[in-house]
Amino acid sequence: MLLKLSFSSMRKRFKDYLVLLFGLTISIAIFYMFETLAQNKTFIEANGMISSIVFVFHVGTFILGAITIFYIFYATSFMLTLRQKEMGMYMTLGAKKHKITQLMFFETFFIGLISLLVGLIVGFGLAKGIAELFMWQLDFNGEGFQAFYLSSIITTVIFYVILFLLTSIVNAWKISRKSVLSLLHAEQKQDFVKTKGSKTFFGVLFAIILIGIGYYAMINIAKLMQAGVILAAVTIIIGTYLIFIAFLPYFVKKLKQNRTLNEKGINSFTLGQLRFRMLNLTKVLGTVAMLVALGLGAMTAGISFYHNIEKQASAFHANDVIIHQPSKEDTEALAEMNVTEKNVYHYKIDDQGIYFLKKDLTDNPPLIKYSKETFELPETTRVSQALPKDKYVLGQNDNIASLPEFWTTAISMEINASYQQFGAKDVYVYGSAGYQEIDATEQQVILATVDDFTDYLPQLKTINTNQLKLAETYREETVENIGTKYSNYVAFKAVASGTIFMGFFLGVAFLMMMASVLMFKLLSSAAADTHRYSMLRKIGVRKSLLVKSIYRELFLLFLFPALVGLVHVIVGMQMFSFIIIEPYTKIWIPISIFIIIYGIYYWVTVQMYKRIVLPKEV
Amino acid sequence: MMNQTVVNVKDIHKVFGKRSENQYHALNGVTFDIKAGEFVGIMGPSGAGKTTLLNVISTLDKPTDGTIEIAGTNITSMKQRQLADFRSEQLGFIFQDFNLLENLTIYENIALPLSLQGVPSRKIKPSVVEVAKKLGIETILEKYPVTVSGGQKQRAAAARALVHEPAIILADEPTGALDSKSAKSLMEAMVHLNENHDVSIMMVTHDPLSASYCERILFIHDGALYKEIHRNGSRSEFHHQILDVLADFAE
Ligand SMILES: Nc1ncnc2c1ncn2[C@@H]1O[C@H](COP(=O)(O)OP(=O)(O)OP(=O)(O)O)[C@@H](O)[C@H]1O
Ligand SMILES: [Mg+2]
Repeated sequence: MLLKLSFSSMRKRFKDYLVLLFGLTISIAIFYMFETLAQNKTFIEANGMISSIVFVFHVGTFILGAITIFYIFYATSFMLTLRQKEMGMYMTLGAKKHKITQLMFFETFFIGLISLLVGLIVGFGLAKGIAELFMWQLDFNGEGFQAFYLSSIITTVIFYVILFLLTSIVNAWKISRKSVLSLLHAEQKQDFVKTKGSKTFFGVLFAIILIGIGYYAMINIAKLMQAGVILAAVTIIIGTYLIFIAFLPYFVKKLKQNRTLNEKGINSFTLGQLRFRMLNLTKVLGTVAMLVALGLGAMTAGISFYHNIEKQASAFHANDVIIHQPSKEDTEALAEMNVTEKNVYHYKIDDQGIYFLKKDLTDNPPLIKYSKETFELPETTRVSQALPKDKYVLGQNDNIASLPEFWTTAISMEINASYQQFGAKDVYVYGSAGYQEIDATEQQVILATVDDFTDYLPQLKTINTNQLKLAETYREETVENIGTKYSNYVAFKAVASGTIFMGFFLGVAFLMMMASVLMFKLLSSAAADTHRYSMLRKIGVRKSLLVKSIYRELFLLFLFPALVGLVHVIVGMQMFSFIIIEPYTKIWIPISIFIIIYGIYYWVTVQMYKRIVLPKEV
Repeated sequence: MMNQTVVNVKDIHKVFGKRSENQYHALNGVTFDIKAGEFVGIMGPSGAGKTTLLNVISTLDKPTDGTIEIAGTNITSMKQRQLADFRSEQLGFIFQDFNLLENLTIYENIALPLSLQGVPSRKIKPSVVEVAKKLGIETILEKYPVTVSGGQKQRAAAARALVHEPAIILADEPTGALDSKSAKSLMEAMVHLNENHDVSIMMVTHDPLSASYCERILFIHDGALYKEIHRNGSRSEFHHQILDVLADFAE
C-alpha cells in the first residue's frame, strides 16, 4: 500500500525526479567513460608519452571519485528533501517509523539502480562517440581502445552500488531520526544569507593579491620551477574560492545599488535572484571554475603539443624536403608542392665515401638551423663560412682539414649524408680538380623549403618511402627512420597523439562533469522558486519577460565560473611557453569545444528550469 | 467620481471539468457592481466559490460564461498577453502568503510594479516612500522580508498592490495567516487607504472581524449570491450582523 502511494507521488513530482535522474546518470556516464581509459593499462602505456602517465590517471580517478562522492551524496539528499514532507504525512496517518525508513532506503536505492543502468548505456555511447571523434581529428588509430570495457563496467557498478547503498542508508537514517513535525514543516525553511561589509573588503583584496601571486608564479615558471607550480596551485585555488565567496556577491550587490539599472523592468528581480543564488552557490561556482580550468587546460595543452609537433620537427632542419638521387616519382611529388627555395648539389659515392662538389655548395650555400646557446631554440641561417682549402673531411682526419662547424651541420643534417641514409661512409668535400679524379657515378641531392609543411604530407610520404628504399640499398637492412624532417615529424606525432588523445578525452570528461554539477545544483533548488514566478505572473508580469529573466540569470551564473576558468587557462598556458614553441596557436579549438559543451548544458538547464518554475497557463 | 463603477460583473458562470467528465459548477450566474472608492467583502462557507470569483475578476482564470468589466474594459475577451498587461496596470493583489519576494528588500518589492511599467527610476523613489508612509512601513524599507513581522509583510504587500495606483485592489484572505493583532493593524491600514485615499478594495475573507471593516459584504453560497449587507452603524454592530448571517449558513 505504502509502496503504491510512494510510486504515485513520485509520478506527480516527475520533473524533480527527472532532474535527479539526469544528474545521477551524467555522473555515472562520465565516471564510466573516464574508467574506459584509466583501466586500459596496455592502451595507456602504449600511447603515453610520459612514463608517469599511469600515475596521472590514478590522480584523475581519485579527483573524479571524490567529486562524484560529494555529488551523489548531495543528489540523494536532494531526494530526501523531495520526499520528507510526504513521509511525514504518512507517519501522521499512522505509518510505522521502520516502514518509512525501509521505504526511504528502497526508494533511494531503486533510483540509484535505474540511473546506473541508464548511465552505463549513455557512458558507453559517450566513450565511443568522443573517442572516435578525436581519433579522426587527430589522425590517430588508437588501437586497443575499447568503449565497451568489461573491467570498467565492473568497477563502475561496484563503485556506484556501494555509493548508493551508503546514501540509501544515510537517507533512511536521516528520516528515522526526524520527528514527524520537523518532517511536515521541512519545506518551509527559507535559506537566507547576508553579506557583511568589512569582511567582503578584505576578501576581495585577498582574492586579487592571491591570484596575482599565482599568475606571477605561472608566468615565471622557468625561474621558479617546481616551487612555482606548488605556489601557483595553492594561491590560485584559494584565490578562486575567495573570488566567488567575496568578490562576486559584492559585485552583484554593487550592480543592484545602481538604481537606474536595478529599477528597470524586471532587473531588480533578476539581480535579486542572482545575488541570492550566488551566496548559496559560492563553493560550487568556485569548484566549477577550478575544474573548468583543469579540463580546459588539459585540452589546450594537448592541442598545443599537437601543433608543436611540426615546430619540434623543424627545430633540426631548415629544409622541408630532401631528395637523394631523385626518381621521376620524386620530382613529380616535388612539383606538386609550393616550393619557396630549391638547391641542387652534386656528389659522387663509392664503397668508402661520399664526395661533395665544393663549387655547388659555395655557389648556393644551404640553409641550416643554428642556436647560439645550448638551451635556445635554433634559428634558420644561411651558411656563409668560406672554404679556402681544396679538400675537407667531415670529422677528424690526420691528412685532411676538418670541415668547419656550419658546413658540418649543413651536410650531416640538411643534406643528410649520414649513417642513417648511407651506412658507414666517410664524407668529403672536394674542389673541382679532386672531384674529377674520383672514379664513381655522379649523383645529385635536392634540398627544398615549402610554404606549409603540413599541407603536403602525402607527397612527403611518397618521397620519404623512396628515400627509405634508397637507404636500404646502401645499408642492406630494413630502415624505418632516416632522420629527415618528415620522418621526425611522423615519429613525434606517433608518440604525441596518444597522449593528446588522452588529454582531450579527460578534458572533455571533466568539463562535462563540472557543467553537470552546476546544472544539477541550479535545478535542484528550482522548485523553491516556483512560488516567486507564480506570484510575478499573477501580478501581471508577461511570461516572455520571466523567460528573459531566467535566461539572463542563468547565463550570468554559468558565465562567471567559465570566465574565471578561462582566464586561468590563458595565463596558465604561459607555463608551457618554455617547452611549447607557440602555446597559443589554435587555442580556439579547445575553447570552442568548451563553449559548445557548456552552452548545451546552459540551454538544457534553462529549458528544464523553465518547465519547473513557470506556472501553467489557463 | 464617487459613483463611477470600477467592477461590473454580469451573470458569470464557471464550470470546472470537461463536458465529457464530471462537471462542477463553481459559479452559477453571479451579478454585482463595485463602485469607485468602495470597500467590499466577499464571504461564504468553504467551497462556495469565493476564490473562483476572485480569480475570474482578477483575470487569473476565465469565466465559462458572462461578462466582467473593470474600469470600463471588458476583460472576458482579452488575450493572455493583454491580460498580463492589464493586471499589471489596473489591478493590485494581496494574497494570503508568498506575497513578497524574499530576495528583494521591502523597498524593491514595492517598487517592482513601477519598474515593470517602465517608470523612470527617479520617479520611483518618491512614489514608494509615499505609499509606505500611508501604510506605516517607511522605517523598514531597506529590510528583507524574512526580517520583518507577518503583519508588516502584509502591509508591504498592500503597499506593493497600491503603488501603481490600480483601479482596484483584490485581496484573498489577506489576514488568513496573521495573528489577531497583526490582522487588526492590516485592516486598519486598508480602511485608512479606502477612506482617505479613495482606494477601491475587494476582499475575500473567512474572518468575521476582518470583514467588519468593510462597507458592504456579499455572501456567496453554492456559487450564487446569497445575501448582501451594508454597514450603517458602528463596526461592532456590523460584526454581529455578519455573525448572524454566518449562523444562517450553519443551519
Ligand atoms: N481547478 C479546479 N478544478 C475543479 N474544481 C475546482 C477547481 N477550483 C475550485 N474547484 C471547486 O470549485 C468550488 C469552489 O472553490 P473555491 O476555491 O472558489 O472555494 P472557496 O469559496 O474559495 O473555498 P475556501 O473558503 O475553502 O477557500 C470547490 O468545490 C472546488 O472544489
Ligand atoms: Mg478560497
